[in-house]
Amino acid sequence: MAILELKNIVKKYRIGNEIITALDGVDLAVEAGEFIVILGTSGCGKTTLLNIAAGLEKPTRGEVVFRGVTISKLKEKKTVMFRRKQMGFIFQSYNLLPALTAQENVALPLVFDGVKPRERVLRSVKMLKQVGLMERREHKPSQMSGGQQQRVSIARALINNPRIIFADEPTGNLDTRTTLDIMGQLQRAVKENGQTLVMVTHDQEVAEFADRIIYMVDGRIVEEKQGGTHL
Amino acid sequence: MKNYDLLLLANKNLWRRKGRTVLTVLGVIIGTASIVVMLSLGIGLVESQKKQMSQWGSLNIIRVQQSWDFPGQEDGQQKRLTDEAIAEIREIEGVTAVSPAIEVGGEASFGKKMGHIMLVGLEPALMEQLEFSVSHGRLLNQDDRFNVVAGSQVINNFWDPRQRSNPWNWEEPPQGDSLELLNKRISLSLYNNKQQKRIYSLNVVGILSEKTMEHSWYVYAPISELKKMREFTNQGRQEEVYFQEYMEKDPGGRSSSSSARAKKEEQYSFALVRTNDVADTRRISRQLRDSGYNAYSIADNLEGIEEAARRFQAILGGIGAITLLVAAIGITNTMVMSIYERTREIAIMKVIGASFREIRWLFLTESSLIGLLGGFFGLGLSFALSSLLNHYGSSFVNPGGMMPGQEAIQISVIPLWLVGFALLFSIGIGLIAGIYPANRAINLDPITAMRHG
Ligand SMILES: Nc1ncnc2c1ncn2[C@@H]1O[C@H](COP(=O)(O)OP(=O)(O)OP(=O)(O)O)[C@@H](O)[C@H]1O
Ligand SMILES: [Mg+2]
Repeated sequence: MAILELKNIVKKYRIGNEIITALDGVDLAVEAGEFIVILGTSGCGKTTLLNIAAGLEKPTRGEVVFRGVTISKLKEKKTVMFRRKQMGFIFQSYNLLPALTAQENVALPLVFDGVKPRERVLRSVKMLKQVGLMERREHKPSQMSGGQQQRVSIARALINNPRIIFADEPTGNLDTRTTLDIMGQLQRAVKENGQTLVMVTHDQEVAEFADRIIYMVDGRIVEEKQGGTHL
Repeated sequence: MKNYDLLLLANKNLWRRKGRTVLTVLGVIIGTASIVVMLSLGIGLVESQKKQMSQWGSLNIIRVQQSWDFPGQEDGQQKRLTDEAIAEIREIEGVTAVSPAIEVGGEASFGKKMGHIMLVGLEPALMEQLEFSVSHGRLLNQDDRFNVVAGSQVINNFWDPRQRSNPWNWEEPPQGDSLELLNKRISLSLYNNKQQKRIYSLNVVGILSEKTMEHSWYVYAPISELKKMREFTNQGRQEEVYFQEYMEKDPGGRSSSSSARAKKEEQYSFALVRTNDVADTRRISRQLRDSGYNAYSIADNLEGIEEAARRFQAILGGIGAITLLVAAIGITNTMVMSIYERTREIAIMKVIGASFREIRWLFLTESSLIGLLGGFFGLGLSFALSSLLNHYGSSFVNPGGMMPGQEAIQISVIPLWLVGFALLFSIGIGLIAGIYPANRAINLDPITAMRHG
């Protein structure tokens, strides 16, 4: 059964008198437990598609159905609960809070969820161990390398045990060795827990980790390929 | 999100830019201190006036007199101080004691000294409640008959005729020692209208303390004896005859002359009413005036003084308020800048699950914390300034120094309620100053913020 369904998504932006069509009728069904990679050239609409799928942006036309709920029609107040409890996010630029330590950053989604401090410590320690950053837990983002920061953000994305994880070019700023390292960790974690992962990249090598590869050109899906060579 | 997490996060965010936060808090400190100090000056004014007034007499006592008789006035229109009226006054809510009083004056002698006294008869058991207090000896009690208590100045009503000095020598006002009277006898001579004379021998058992000036020239005795004295002095009184005739001539006069005379006889010179507190005093005093008595209390003057103080406070408070308004704008500015710097961060929080409510409260908590800190340290500054004012300013309000035993007049008074008010007010200012920035923060589009961050 599909955990996430995009039905004929159209997204248009208006800049002055000009109208830009970022997405031009996208249909996609993501199966539970699946690892999907979206590949495409810069500006073809990958980030836009991810944002709409996560309920961060509303489509101009079309529907997003997540676990049977049409989240594209929900108010912001409701979508926030989906993001808090069932979704995880990883970004190209890590997006950690600079004022917080690694451990505090990892635990932040639990803070918003109202989890008690004791349990937050236990769970964030477990996540930090999993990404191998226990000895860095008191460090601020500015005191860590890009690869370390991204591992912190992976731990943050996974701490609330989400059903689905959206990752927008998580390895875009990293070298090949670190990329493979991070991809390995992410894939292992997701597969162990039966979580769904939707990842945007334009790195062909990264795409090899996926179960399925989606190719986009100018706001449309043009091709689909079964992957899994790294499994 | 739990409240303590909100508070911790807000506090952490606040101290990321220490310098800016400290400067913003400083603005609130100055604003709070200026309001508190300004208001404390107004409060100090009222307090010192109250203190001065209570030296003239008690703020809990009302003196009630019946309004003046004048011919042509309908009977019953004027309130007479009869036993009935006393009972009525006793029933008013807030009245804790009422004593009728009768005044009789006459020639008196004390040892070899001559003079005159005003004798006032009161319910002896009520004296303490009516805030009489003695500096020496005792107050009257139920069994006393010709025992009296003298005011502290009564001794100055007597002079020694053998001494050449004029008793009314203005250059050298008589200054007798009131203790001279204690446990001595005063002879009072009363005459009635038939030129008969009676001499009463009064034993002074107590001297009133100097605290209340209004009592200091009178001698107080049990009212039961005063009734008898007045009965004697009224014998063959001319006025009584006139009164009788007047009542008979008056065509509208419903009461017979004999009952009118009876009424006249049972009337009192005045009554003293004791109340619970100043507020009751003012209310009851007004109520008595409205129902036709001549009621007077020192507390009545408070109204005017408080009105003046209120106006004074409004002006001073206004000056303080402007300072605090500037501080509030400072808070808003700081918060807007902080939100501008943290645009990306706010977007991240939204994406990973912070609701609008939580984002809003995060910023409102930050701005309220600035207010609270400013209020707290502002109060500290206020107390420092207040004690400086009281220390160095006292020479202005207490010219010529203080009398021994007199309490220093405080220019600036900070009561507990002002402390609470200042804290709540500064937190409130912080909260209000945070509304606009917080709304800006929640209206941030996380996607745009993250793309361009
Ligand atoms: N808020 C916006 N306003 C106007 N145009 C936008 C906005 N967001 C995206 N676009 C446009 O939509 C198109 C798709 O953008 P998107 O960010 O989805 O591309 P992308 O595939 O993620 O590119 P990249 O690989 O460089 O990240 C682009 O032409 C972009 O300029
Ligand atoms: Mg992109």
